[in-house]
Amino acid sequence: MSTTIYYISNILIIICLVSSLLQTRYLFNINKFNNLSVSFLATIQLFSILIAFGLLIYLFLISDFSFELVYLNSHSEKPLIYKFSGVWGNHEGSMLLWILILVLFNFFFSLFSFKRKIFQNLTVSVQSLMIFGFTLFILFLSNPFKLSENNYADGIGLNPILQDPLLAIHPPVLYLGYVGFSLVFSFAIAGLICKEIDKTWASIIKPWVFIAWSFLTAGIALGSFWAYYELGWGGYWFWDPVENASLMPWLAATALIHCVVVLEKKNTMQSWTIVLAIMTFSLSLIGTFLVRSGILNSVHTFASDPGRGLFILIFLFTVLFGSFFLFAIQSEKINKPDLSSLVSRSTGIQINNWLLMTILSIVFIGTMYPLATDLFFNQSLTVGPQYYAITITPLIIIFIFFMIFSPRLGWKESKLINLIMSMRFILISVLSLSFIISLYFDLFNLSEITIIFLSLILVFTSLKSGFSLSGKNTIIKSNLGQNIAHAGFGIFMIAVVSNAVYSKEKIYDAKVGDSLELSGYVFNFKKIEQVEGANFNSLKAYIDLEKEEKTLDEFTPEIRFYSDPPTITSETSIIHKFFSDIYVVMNVPQNQQSVSVRLHIKPFMNILWFGVIMIILGGLITAFLKRTRIDEV
Amino acid sequence: MTAGVTEKVKKRLTKFLLSLIIVSIAVLLIVYNLKDNIVYFYSPSDLIEENLNRGQIIRLGGLVKTDSVFNESESIFHFKVSDGNVHINVKYEGILPNLFAEDKGVVVEGIYMNDGRFIANKVLAKHDENYMPPEVIQTLKDSGNWQGQ
Repeated sequence: MSTTIYYISNILIIICLVSSLLQTRYLFNINKFNNLSVSFLATIQLFSILIAFGLLIYLFLISDFSFELVYLNSHSEKPLIYKFSGVWGNHEGSMLLWILILVLFNFFFSLFSFKRKIFQNLTVSVQSLMIFGFTLFILFLSNPFKLSENNYADGIGLNPILQDPLLAIHPPVLYLGYVGFSLVFSFAIAGLICKEIDKTWASIIKPWVFIAWSFLTAGIALGSFWAYYELGWGGYWFWDPVENASLMPWLAATALIHCVVVLEKKNTMQSWTIVLAIMTFSLSLIGTFLVRSGILNSVHTFASDPGRGLFILIFLFTVLFGSFFLFAIQSEKINKPDLSSLVSRSTGIQINNWLLMTILSIVFIGTMYPLATDLFFNQSLTVGPQYYAITITPLIIIFIFFMIFSPRLGWKESKLINLIMSMRFILISVLSLSFIISLYFDLFNLSEITIIFLSLILVFTSLKSGFSLSGKNTIIKSNLGQNIAHAGFGIFMIAVVSNAVYSKEKIYDAKVGDSLELSGYVFNFKKIEQVEGANFNSLKAYIDLEKEEKTLDEFTPEIRFYSDPPTITSETSIIHKFFSDIYVVMNVPQNQQSVSVRLHIKPFMNILWFGVIMIILGGLITAFLKRTRIDEV
Repeated sequence: MTAGVTEKVKKRLTKFLLSLIIVSIAVLLIVYNLKDNIVYFYSPSDLIEENLNRGQIIRLGGLVKTDSVFNESESIFHFKVSDGNVHINVKYEGILPNLFAEDKGVVVEGIYMNDGRFIANKVLAKHDENYMPPEVIQTLKDSGNWQGQ
């Protein structure tokens, strides 16, 4: 049975390899197209990988330990959902998922019929070239279907902190974002070859760019939410290299979606758009490479398995040099002059693009610098989170400022003075209020209060423009998504700053019967007991939350002891109130009499996630509203 | 025509200057803050042999020496971090992580005092019991006390 599956799955991968290679032939023969074969080959790719992926899931579900990957990452006593998510909780499986999403995007895009046939077919060919590369990679260097040499009775198991429902869906969503930008990259290359980068090009690619961006945003948010409740440190973002790896493509992608909008409206910023499309995909590759190669844990792991890392590096450099070479040849032919005046919306967008690029460089340097010193000087070091906070804060202030003003400027020409005059009362009152509050309240400093007030203005102006447009007449205007996302960003920033300022934390060495206190809440430590879970034993504490003598709720933090592999995790217990989260986490007893209990008050967490959801929603609305308009035309 | 050209040049120049300002601000921000927020990692031997800048926040990694953990009170701990040859006395106030144990790898962050003690404000430990911080592995290899693969 196992050997049959082994042969079938490897043949499926080879089928995908061959069909993607066949599809790339259009690249060398632009004028000879056969539309039927384009979608036919895309369908073959999809089905071969879909079945292979299905087989891998099947192997994990039945715990077939004759396959090395299943042995290394699964265990027969693991709950079903984690056998399932174990498929992509490792390098080989996640690369297969990566290819599945590559062929999925290729398939869906080949289904549409656009007037620009040559462009569409070229896009599919470039995409197939990438599918070919990655399929080659998994076939020879990272094959998920490798039979193990020994007979194992049971598997090693999945790292328990990864055994979480949210983390089961985090990688697929994040990959939909990362890989979605592979299609955007293919658009850029195909557009460069056709020399047709204009309004029509932008309107074809716009929905795909926004869908990929929305998935990327959602993927990052899911990871952050997981870190918030699973790691038990009370934070939701740690400027960890793994997090930065996903933030970097997001920053480039955010600049990109704005460029695509400018290009669609004004037929300008061609070069920027192309550069950002290439950059976003390259950063997605770098992100995957950093996280999956193990180089972040230690640069020395890279040397222990150089094949894989080397392949992704070669792939990355091919992508970078190939595309920039093409860009250098063609860029003179694609650029259209910017006819709008200096004071216009596109200038505002350009300024914010520079700011995004600056933030990107800050994150890039902070992430890469420790790797570089370790690799070249054998000096280990870490970059503290303060580095990011201090450098990014002033940039965010200017960024929000232009987010408020740019949408209120016209596309063609505006008088700056008119705009400033129309907003003078809001501006003066906000600036003076921020200054006064920062003087009289120690809690906030000037930059924090400025961010809060600017964000408030952003929320109000965005909502106003979003609703007046959709309210007056029943036709939904295309900037509804933009306004929802911008308002969401404002809400998000307010929550981020207030959360940082108002968060409270206290650590107790607690015994059963103790009453702990934090910000007016009383925590009554009632009892602690041993509980048996699905594949772990746990110490579970029961703590009542009281305020003004009334019991409001009960916390049940746990310490879980897993045996496969042997690991201890602390499970947080969080009560989500409207304005703040109350967060309890417990650590292994230091001595027999007491346990360490950490209490957190985390204000505005719900509002923070709400802001993120608005941002994602805004992206999706923009993607799909545009789609209906294309269909109508 | 000439008016159009000068307009174009003016616009380009303005944009160029704007981007130059942003880039220089960024470079200044990065250089100043990176320098202040870098935390270097040292092994116990490094700390003893080299004359390091005392009073700066650094990381120290090694094995928690057997029979060296001692509670001064419920939340103040003393232990020794060793690389097999030499050790450093560490004092830490707070919660020790779940996987802190004698003879296991540990990374502490804090200040190396003039009297040779290390006052830690953070004890870092990963979740997996068998996990050894890569810096600690390197430390043990350097001191010739690494017994793993």
